[in-house]
Order: sequence, then structure tokens, then C-alpha cells
Amino acid sequence: MGNFMELLLQPLRDFGMTFFEFVPNLLAMLIIFIAGYFFSRLIKLVFLRVFRIINFDRWCDKAGLTAVIRKGDIWSKPSDVFGGIIYWFLIILFLMIGFSALRLQTIDNLTAQFFLYIPRAFSALVILIAGYIIAGFVSRAVLITAVNSGYHYAKILAEAVRLLLIVLILAMALEQLRIAPGIVIAAFSIVFGGIILALSIAFGIGGIDAAKRIINGGEPEQKGEKKKEKERDAEYL
Amino acid sequence: MDNADILVGIASYNNAKTIGHVVKAVDAGLVKYFPDKRALIVNSDGGSKDGTPDIVRSATHDHAAIFLSHPVYPIHRISMPYNGIPGKGSAFRALFRKAVEMKAEACCVVDADLRSITPEWIELLLSPIFQNGFDFVAPLYSRHKYDGTITNSIVYPVTRALYGKRVRQPIGGEFGFSGNMAEFYVSQDVWESHVARFGIDIWMTTEAIANDFNVCQTFLGAKIHDPKDPGSDLADMLLQVVATLFNLTERHYDKWKDQKGSSDVPTFGFRYHVGLESVKVNAEKMLNIFRAGLKDLRNIWMGIMGPGDLGEIESLGSLPGGSFRFPAGLWANVVYDYVIAYQRKVMAPEHLIRSLVPLYLGKTASFVLEAENMEQEGAEAEIEKLCVEFENKKDYLVTNWK
Repeated sequence: MGNFMELLLQPLRDFGMTFFEFVPNLLAMLIIFIAGYFFSRLIKLVFLRVFRIINFDRWCDKAGLTAVIRKGDIWSKPSDVFGGIIYWFLIILFLMIGFSALRLQTIDNLTAQFFLYIPRAFSALVILIAGYIIAGFVSRAVLITAVNSGYHYAKILAEAVRLLLIVLILAMALEQLRIAPGIVIAAFSIVFGGIILALSIAFGIGGIDAAKRIINGGEPEQKGEKKKEKERDAEYL
Repeated sequence: MDNADILVGIASYNNAKTIGHVVKAVDAGLVKYFPDKRALIVNSDGGSKDGTPDIVRSATHDHAAIFLSHPVYPIHRISMPYNGIPGKGSAFRALFRKAVEMKAEACCVVDADLRSITPEWIELLLSPIFQNGFDFVAPLYSRHKYDGTITNSIVYPVTRALYGKRVRQPIGGEFGFSGNMAEFYVSQDVWESHVARFGIDIWMTTEAIANDFNVCQTFLGAKIHDPKDPGSDLADMLLQVVATLFNLTERHYDKWKDQKGSSDVPTFGFRYHVGLESVKVNAEKMLNIFRAGLKDLRNIWMGIMGPGDLGEIESLGSLPGGSFRFPAGLWANVVYDYVIAYQRKVMAPEHLIRSLVPLYLGKTASFVLEAENMEQEGAEAEIEKLCVEFENKKDYLVTNWK
């Protein structure tokens, strides 16, 4: 009988022990969640204040980031959007830290993977932001130069350059995130190679005269000009 | 030679065809007008591959056959390479240093590609310094009405409206300056900017005016020179000159904000009419680039000028070629919009100024069409009207300056 009672009570005792071992972890998790929530809100407020001081929204307008956000159908101010991103990043971070306080094997593995992935996600985000700014800068430079050269399809050329750069940047970001790297590299090679081939063929067919002039060093035009009356070009300075 | 009273600088790069004539004219000018001064001719060369420095050293003529008197001191010549960013400004920096090192009392610089330089140019550039105590002598030329379009439509009107001095050729290329002025130039830290290239001329003139040095101008006659390096295209020149002009505008805000109107500066030299070479311009090509800008650069221009001025510019796009006119008042507003956008860092400075090219070509085409049947005086009167518009609209710049 004594053994039987022991058999009945032992699981309860084990459960009680496990439960009382678990309760502090649970409490720690809840405290981390609550502290994390308030900390995240505080950090968000600090960032919003800093953004306001440095005129972050105006800078985003100039850099074209506001336009990108609007294309994603987000109509909040860029400072609010970035404040929100920081807030939710911290919330997720504290959730993972809180879960790790439970000391459960599965959650510990998940947390470890999450923290290992953060640097990659951060690198990808930096690549995307820097890449977008560089693509905009280069595309604008191409547009202005093409217009100043009297090129008729300046806007199309500038958009093509922007598209090429964005394809390149997306491929780099996906490769950084290790999302199907084999497929990304293959797809990128095909798309990028295809675009370059298409442009080469287009130039070869459409710009055959221009290509001939470039190869001949502009000789036909120069010869023609020399035969004209003795006039010189106007000076700019 | 340890010290010199006069230093004449010649910046060069592959000017073998013309530099011999320039050196001879300078040499003759020094012998004829300053025989009792110790003079040094310095060639600051950018690594010419056509033997330019050898020609500088060997170019000679028989003084006895030309002049009745002989110089008291022999005229020395040196040719030296310069360091830094390749360009006219870096070459001038080496000349300023040499002038300070030699304790020169008066200096002048002349271009190495000049065909029309005479010995009198040296007298005209240096005498105001020796005899009248001026620190900076700007050139004044007879030019074709279509020449110097950046000068006429941007640099001269802006400089005159801001600083109140009517220096007609602020980026002429030939200048005279005192030893004090050379010391001032050497002490400035600008040699990694556009000043090292085509920005040097407007920088020298503006710094002389804004820092209250005694400034005058001198009439040299016609300026005829070899065609410029074809590699130095319009957009690059405009960028270097206008970026320097705008940087100086930011730097000297306190000097120009309260300046109203403008006044003449003392002018030396005997003014006479000169027969000028004919010049070809293609207004239709300029207008095509202006219209392409209207079509493709609208968003960029909107960020710089806002809807008001842009709306007026858009209305010009529909005008047919012959009757196309860019109003002077609107052009003044556009240039001031660009100055303000540059100061507010609306976009990368290079993009900002390069986006001005189609507008500048539109304005130039308008001037070409307007002045087609005008004599030189008529064209000059149009430039005067433009300058008055810049002066009248200066409050717009002051009010919007942050």
C-alpha cells in the first residue's frame, strides 16, 4: 500500500518540483516581457525625438525614401515608420530573450537560431537601404548626363540603370539572407545576363551608325566640319 | 635669383604651338615697360608631352633689334611642374607660391594659348599695381556677342548683384595682382576643390572683391586663342565655375547680404573696336536640350524651383523656335533658386549644377535669337538689362537664405 501511495505521489511531487522550478522562469519571462515592452516604448520615443531634431523626415524626402515608403502604400511619416521598425525589432528581441528564460530546449534552439540570424538580417537591411540610395543617385546622374547630351530616351535609360542596380541589390540581399542561394544566383545570372544581352543587341541594331562613328573616332563628322567656312565655336567662359 | 619685383606666370599644358609667342610678348613687354625691374617669367606646366617647357626656355628675340634701351636686369625664365589636382587652379597655386617666395611686388598671369597677346598687355596688367596701388587687375576684352555665355548669363550678373562691383570679365583668364594678394591666395585652403581647375578665375576675382582689396579692370583688346581642350565640355566647365561661385556665395554671406545696387570699378586702357572672328552657334540644338530637360528633369527642377518658376518655364516649352524668349526676370529667379537649393543641400551639388545645363542652354538660345541682328553694343545693352534684373531681385535671395 505504501508503495502504491508512493507511486501516486511521486509524479505529483515531480510535477510540483518542476512547477516550482518553472514558476521563477515564467515570472522571469513575464518580467522581461513587461520590462521589454516599456523599454521598447521608451527607445521608440527617444528615437522619434532624435529624428525630429535632425529633421529626419526632410532628409528622407530628399533621399527619396519617402517615395519608396509611399509605393508600399504606407502613409505614415518616415520617422514614425522607422520608429515602429525599431520598436517591433526590440519587442521581438525581448520576446526571444523572455522565451529563453523558460530554459526549454526547443525554445533555446529557436532563440539561438534567431540571434545567429540577426547579423545576416541586419546586413541585408543595410544592403537594401544603401543600395536603394546608390541606385537613385546613379540613375539621377545618368538621367541628367543623358539629357545634357541631347539623348532622346534619357528617362528610359535612367530607369533601365535603376532596374539593373535594384536587381543586383535584391540578389545581394537575398544571398545575404541565405534564402535559396542557388536559385537566387542562377536567377540573377539569367536576368542580369539577359538584360545586358538585350541592351547589346538593341545597341548593335539601333545604334549601328553611332557605333561606327565611335569606332572611327568621329572622323566622318570632323572631316565634314573642316570643309565648312572658317568659323569657330562660341566660348562658354 | 633670390628676389624679383615682377613675376609673370604662364600656366600650360601641351601649348607648344602658341607658348613661344606668349613668352616673347611677355619678355618684350617687360623690357619695354619695366626695364629697371627685376622680372621673372614662370611657366607652371601640367606635364606637357609636346615640349612646351623647352619652348619656354628657348623662345627668344633680339632686344637690340626691337628696343632702343636695354633692360637693367636680365629677365629670368623657369619652367616647373606643379603638384595637386591637374588643372589651371593648381598651376596658379604654384605661381602664387613662387611669387611669395620671390617677394614679388607685382604679378600677372596670362594664358599659354593666346594668339592676340602683345607686349602692351603686360604694361596694362602691371602698371595699375605699381603706379596706382591696386591689388587686383581684371581683364576687359572685346569679345564676340556670342562668346562668354557663362560669364554673361551667370557669373557677371551674380557677382555684380552680390558684391556691387561691375567687373565685366570676372573669369577672363588674364589677371594682374599685387604681392599682398598673392600672399592672401596662398594662405587659403581651397586647393582640393573646383578652385584647382576652372573655378580658379571666379575664386580669385571674388576673394579680391569680398576681402576689400583694391580692384580695377584694364582693357586689353581682342582675346584670340587656340580652341580649348575638347575634353573639357560644357557641363564640366559649368560645374567647376558655378560650384565655386555658389561656395563663395555661402562663404561671403555677411559681405553681400546688405549690398544694394552696383558701381563701376576704375578702368584702365584705351578702348577701341576690334574686328572679331565669326562664331557659329546652333540655337535649335540648344533648344532641343532645353525641351528634353522640360520633359525628363521636371521632378528634379520641381525640387529646386518649386511650382511657380517651373510653371513659367514650362510655358516657354511650347514657344516656336524663332519666337522663343527666356525672360530676364525669370532667369534671375532660376539662378537664385539654384543658389538657394545649393545652400540648402537639396541634392548632391554635382547633380544640382549639372541639372542647370538645359536651362542655361535655353537662356543662351534665347539670347542668340534675340541678339541675332544686334551689333555688339545692342547685345551688351541686353546683358546690362539682365544684370539690373539680378540686382532688383536680390531681395528674393536674401529673404530665402537660411
